[in-house]
Amino acid sequence: MAYILQQLLQESAARYPEKLAVWARGRSLTYRELEGRSNQLAHLLQQRGVRKGDRVGLYFPKCVESVIVMLGIVKAGGVYVPLDPQAPAERIGYIIGNCGIHGLVTRADKRRGLEQAMLDSLEFTLLVGDDNGEAPQISNGSAVIPWTMLGEYPASSAPAVTLTETDLAYILYTSGSTGRPKGVMLTHQNALTFVEWCAEKFQITSDDHLSNHAPLHFDLSVFDVYNTLEAGASLYMVTEDLALFPSKLTAFMEAQEITVWYSVPSALTLLLLHADLNAEKLKRLRTILFAGEVFPMKYLRQLADRLPHADLYNLYGPTETNVCTYYRVERERLAGMDKLPIGIACENTEVFAVNDQDEIVTQPGGTGELYVRGPAVTCGYWADAEKTMKIVVPNRFQPNFEEKMYCTGDLVQLGEDGNYYFLGRRDSMVKSRGYRIELGEIESALLSHPSVKEAVAIAVPDDIVGSRIKAVVASHDGICLAPVELQRFCGTRIPKYMIPEVIELCVELPKTSTGKIDRVKLASAKEPVSVR
Amino acid sequence: MIESAAVKDQIREYVLEEFAKTKGINQITDQEVLTKNGIIDSMGIFRLVAFLEETFNVRIGDEEITHDNLESIDAIEKLVISKAKK
Repeated sequence: MAYILQQLLQESAARYPEKLAVWARGRSLTYRELEGRSNQLAHLLQQRGVRKGDRVGLYFPKCVESVIVMLGIVKAGGVYVPLDPQAPAERIGYIIGNCGIHGLVTRADKRRGLEQAMLDSLEFTLLVGDDNGEAPQISNGSAVIPWTMLGEYPASSAPAVTLTETDLAYILYTSGSTGRPKGVMLTHQNALTFVEWCAEKFQITSDDHLSNHAPLHFDLSVFDVYNTLEAGASLYMVTEDLALFPSKLTAFMEAQEITVWYSVPSALTLLLLHADLNAEKLKRLRTILFAGEVFPMKYLRQLADRLPHADLYNLYGPTETNVCTYYRVERERLAGMDKLPIGIACENTEVFAVNDQDEIVTQPGGTGELYVRGPAVTCGYWADAEKTMKIVVPNRFQPNFEEKMYCTGDLVQLGEDGNYYFLGRRDSMVKSRGYRIELGEIESALLSHPSVKEAVAIAVPDDIVGSRIKAVVASHDGICLAPVELQRFCGTRIPKYMIPEVIELCVELPKTSTGKIDRVKLASAKEPVSVR
Repeated sequence: MIESAAVKDQIREYVLEEFAKTKGINQITDQEVLTKNGIIDSMGIFRLVAFLEETFNVRIGDEEITHDNLESIDAIEKLVISKAKK
């Protein structure tokens, strides 16, 4: 039984050495190669000073090496931090500083985009796909190592490290309300709790072909990568040349005979609207999982009709729990259903709703905030005890011994059918294309512009992507600002999916009687608000 | 007959205004791969196609919405010209 993630690979490599483990951009690795390369990388990392618990960043577009790097880092005893390859350098720099990244695995062109001071703070950078360099270079005290160096280390076994399941495996950064992203810490046990549940629930076998649609800094990818390794299955990575083009993507699903698909609902909606999702062509596609945002019922019904042979599951859970509830779509109920349930707790996880009277909701119709306890729950945010204490709290419903539970901030209702239904958020976090967006982070980016006096970000509901972001901004007296200039400014601070699509300018934002910015008025306004 | 240079200018201006500038990018070359750096995302592709259909009075089928046809301003121009000739 595996208790640390690399054992999943080790076992499958022993059983299926010549089987295809990972495919991306027309290149692939067998289990033997993946095991050997990640062993070599682990030795290299240790030699470069990586010790148990040290953070190592991954900052390059998806490719087969991504999986080598994830596994190589944990084999060295380290903690990997997948960074959005499209995020602005400023944000990457913040994360590198925030979690004290020891070394960075990146690509030459990505490295060039980063600030020198930040690169100098690293012990080393390892350049993926760099076959030109022969020897490591030293740049201001920080080593730059070509990928070819891996060849000098033993492939036969990983270095000896002492790890337990409670050691950290990876840190995923998500949007934070105070204007900075926060690092959700996940242990080997957190990940394996979820992976083992999925393996059992979805019966993944070595015959399966899993897709990997989500980016690696997104927790959906944990299923794709580790459930593939757990079962000795094959992973087919969806890269940007496929992800953006629905007809190409369905051709990929057909050619690679994908059997299990997991993505945000908006990706499936685009396939429905712009590609030939044909049951005849996708015969082997047996299970479709979706998570990250609410799937609009009309599109879900169409999906169920188009692919009558596939089981559909709605998975729910914040990054802090990975997945904590699930609902298997009951096709016979779909026609009369106006809202899709988030379902019931995954095995080995407990969820409950707590109402305003601080009681656990037990009656159908009751609503409350959803709490989660169990081994899948994060131990908190990296270097942020204050935020951690707010969300990972002592379980006050169980007085006998010390135990933590996680409050999701999501309001839910317990349905007549025993399922939970998602109602909305307690705070100003919104979802767009499955990405978590804290409106406060956008506002803080806008407010850091020297000419901006006041700024509010608003989520405008959207049928396909969940929400679109609009901002209303007031500038300091007499300063004329162009929306496009503000968008450009945001582009240097926050990821592209957070940049407001529309920015309205006004002299002053409307206020409530208590002098606070009137968000309700701004959100409901159809026309630009003009206040003198 | 559509004028090639004019087509390219219109496409470049649209891509710059609609996608690049709002993401903090002020300049793009005609060969630059638009999908690589997240200039155009999955929803943007369909806004771009709607713009091309409307502006140049062409019809672009779902199966033609591919990386090869839309990867750069040069590629988009080629697609539009080939469509307009038919």
